Amino acid sequence: MSGTQAVRALRLPRIPLTLAAGIAILLVALVLAAVPQLVAPYSPTAFDYKAILKGPSLAHPFGTDNFGRDILSRTIWAYRVDLQIALFGTIFAAVFGTLVGAVVGYVGGWAEIVFGRVVDMIVTFPFLVLVIAIVAVLGPGLLNLYIAVSAVGWIYYARIVAAGVAVQRRLDYAAAARVLGYSTPRIVLRHLLPNVVSAALVFWMTDMALCILLGSSLGYLGLGAQPPAAEWGVLIADGKNYMSTAWWISIFPGLAIVTTGLGFSLLGDGLADLLRPRR
Amino acid sequence: MPSLGYVVRRVLQMVPTLVFILVVTFVLVRLLPGDPLSAIAGDRVTDAQVAQARAAYGLDEPLLTQFLIYVRHVATGDLGRSIVVQAPVRNLVTERLPPTLMLTAMSVLIGVGLAVPLAFASALRRGRAADFAIRAGAQISLSMPVFYIGLVLLTVFAAQLRWFPVGGYGDDWGERAYHLFLPAVTLGVSLAAILMRNLRAAIIEVLGAEYVDFARAKGLATRVVLLRHVLRNALISTLALLGPTVGALLGGAVITESVFAIPGIGRLMIESIYGRDYPVIQGLTLILALLVSLAFLVTDLIQAALDPRVAR
Amino acid sequence: MARALSVRGLSTVFPSPQGMLTAVDGVDFDLAPGEILGLVGESGSGKSVTLRSILRLVHAPGRVTGQVLWGGRDLLALGESEFRKLRGREIATVFQEPMTALNPVLTIGRQIDESLRAHTRLDRRARRARAIELLDLVGIPAPGTRLGDFPHQFSGGMRQRAMIAVALAGEPELLLADEPTTALDVTIQDQILKLLLGLRARTGMGMVLVTHDLGVVAQSCDRVAVMYAGRIAESGPVAAVFAEPRHAYTRGLIGSVPRAGTERRPLLSIEGTPPGLGERPSGCAFHPRCGFATDICRTAAPPMENVAPDRLSACWNHAAVAAAREAA
Repeated sequence: MSGTQAVRALRLPRIPLTLAAGIAILLVALVLAAVPQLVAPYSPTAFDYKAILKGPSLAHPFGTDNFGRDILSRTIWAYRVDLQIALFGTIFAAVFGTLVGAVVGYVGGWAEIVFGRVVDMIVTFPFLVLVIAIVAVLGPGLLNLYIAVSAVGWIYYARIVAAGVAVQRRLDYAAAARVLGYSTPRIVLRHLLPNVVSAALVFWMTDMALCILLGSSLGYLGLGAQPPAAEWGVLIADGKNYMSTAWWISIFPGLAIVTTGLGFSLLGDGLADLLRPRR
Repeated sequence: MPSLGYVVRRVLQMVPTLVFILVVTFVLVRLLPGDPLSAIAGDRVTDAQVAQARAAYGLDEPLLTQFLIYVRHVATGDLGRSIVVQAPVRNLVTERLPPTLMLTAMSVLIGVGLAVPLAFASALRRGRAADFAIRAGAQISLSMPVFYIGLVLLTVFAAQLRWFPVGGYGDDWGERAYHLFLPAVTLGVSLAAILMRNLRAAIIEVLGAEYVDFARAKGLATRVVLLRHVLRNALISTLALLGPTVGALLGGAVITESVFAIPGIGRLMIESIYGRDYPVIQGLTLILALLVSLAFLVTDLIQAALDPRVAR
Repeated sequence: MARALSVRGLSTVFPSPQGMLTAVDGVDFDLAPGEILGLVGESGSGKSVTLRSILRLVHAPGRVTGQVLWGGRDLLALGESEFRKLRGREIATVFQEPMTALNPVLTIGRQIDESLRAHTRLDRRARRARAIELLDLVGIPAPGTRLGDFPHQFSGGMRQRAMIAVALAGEPELLLADEPTTALDVTIQDQILKLLLGLRARTGMGMVLVTHDLGVVAQSCDRVAVMYAGRIAESGPVAAVFAEPRHAYTRGLIGSVPRAGTERRPLLSIEGTPPGLGERPSGCAFHPRCGFATDICRTAAPPMENVAPDRLSACWNHAAVAAAREAA
């Protein structure tokens, strides 16, 4: 009908705007992370004692630090570490949480009740405090950061998916699939999950943004990535004592965090718009 | 007001949460490689101290017994001894709790103070430039790590403009509020962004509610309709965020206190991690988790008091 | 003192991606002081939007044009603050669903009280006494103890009574009631209608009763205006319109209602469904469903005409409709 076509014509340019912006930002980020050596003008670790604490200039657009290292190059090399944090800090939680949520939602009944209680207990624990405590005990470093974040983070995916599957399970097509004699795992994986997974996917985008914030925070505190690894939080911590005299050391890596976080958020919002069921 | 029955039921619901918190903090220290004794008493101890600690914590007993001993200690207010400072953890915590609580309270005030007018401005101008600007601002501030916001505020308003001290705490209330202002803004800005987004959505939903039309149809002034009918109902539905918010704020306080050198429990936590002072880490994790579950309890009770539909 | 309401050329449009959607399309009607007018039509006919337009409750980006003359003043042209003094005071309203129209987190007493504060100079104690009086007036037992109750603590019928009490707080001359009985059980519907009629008898207030239920109209209204696709199809005294409809749509509508006392026979029903907002047919909007339709109905919208004393109809074939009465 012409009416719905008109609606679509009006909606189409709006959805890709957020989505396209998010994808563009993240594509750039991915390229920087993949081939920093081709993009970065200097080595991220090379000292240059002739160019110490230099402000932004043509030679060093983001300036240099107290060892004469090029901030732009360090910021670019850090993409690799921080995107890795975003991925490894969330992927286990996303996969495991989705599976747990699918099972809980499909079984329903007592499983839902028990799961609800577990969620209530875990969300009471301040996430950041728990992660910091786990890292404190396991020791600083990225691997322990991943362990800590994954140990807590899966519950959020499980909650989203469990709620979604519980709704879908009651719909007709699940019953139809059951009547056709499909096995339980097949029903869950092939029929229920795809309809629920979009909500988890959208959350995953937000979660990756949050994970970068968390990873850089721990890096800043000295509990995450360890120097001399170039990680945005570590870079910002490097410059914190020079904020009054050489603000560029900390400010530019921070902008990389903000833009990348925005990229994930925009992508998440755009996906949410795109995947939202139409009337 | 919520009935006594509701309050009792809600408090009883905390029991499993408390047990969970105790289990996690108990397990935490035992995750350490090696003898938990070194985590509890440190490495530089005499044989006599070792024997005493082994007996006190029941380290030769089965795990369950050890856990029960831990629970008994916590119940009597004994959170262990700091290895580094050689003082009871309880004393350290009570000494350093006030700045953190005050910082949290100020952050909530600033966050709510920013969020309510912005959410209204945004919701009432939905789809227009002001709405877009406010939402973009919220999105950007949500993408900024707390330590980065703090560092920027610190540099601009303390180091350069010298309007505020670069950190620390004060001796009287006025001085403390002055010292904690920038850190509270740091946390408040992030909080405001989260609150604003939720409150905006709630206001938009309530604005479409029929009781708002009915209130208008009664001839009430716009101000009365917006405050008594729209804001009140929108706040009630946003109130559920309070518990998680306090959790996020206490987590954020760990970072903010480090940036601004505030002698609160967040900074104590980081100091203890650097010093491998495991009893303090354990005690702080316990206290922070307890504070958050208390915030969840208070949230539910306030909600029950404000919203008559909540189970009584 | 009593005022008449006359609505002239009232139109309400909503911009949408598909262009302007016209929910109300040039509606005219009159209401004498103390009269009860039934505004009847199927869902989507624009009757509720008409009511909201009179009270200026249409949300942006919807736009209302035309005139709503109340005692000679055009309500749509009044300034916001001037209109607010009148809204709730001279013209009050009751919505369909009290569960959503009453604020769930304020007590009934509070919701009456805020109306009294807005429209009277009574002090706190006098307002409380008046609130009890109002609850008593609408037939809520033990009114003194129920002031502190919240809407969800009332039963459906009692909630509707409470909402009427809220509306009466300003002692209005005109009550606009949007499907006040639709959400209720049949027995309670009857009680609420009796209550409204009793209130009219006591206070002399006029009423516009929006409903899709012809039974309600027959039971309680003096006059009826039938709406279809945003326009008034026909209006006149209830008895006359029911006895001799002058619009094919009215005829179909009346034919589809079972009537007590008549022999059982298959109900006349109208084929098809009312057109959606964006899909109004040309000419008379009813022609695709109309058994009387002729060529002109497809091309030109019928004007509102005086077809009999005190009877208006917008039907090209009103004479044929009237003549076909016996054949039904």
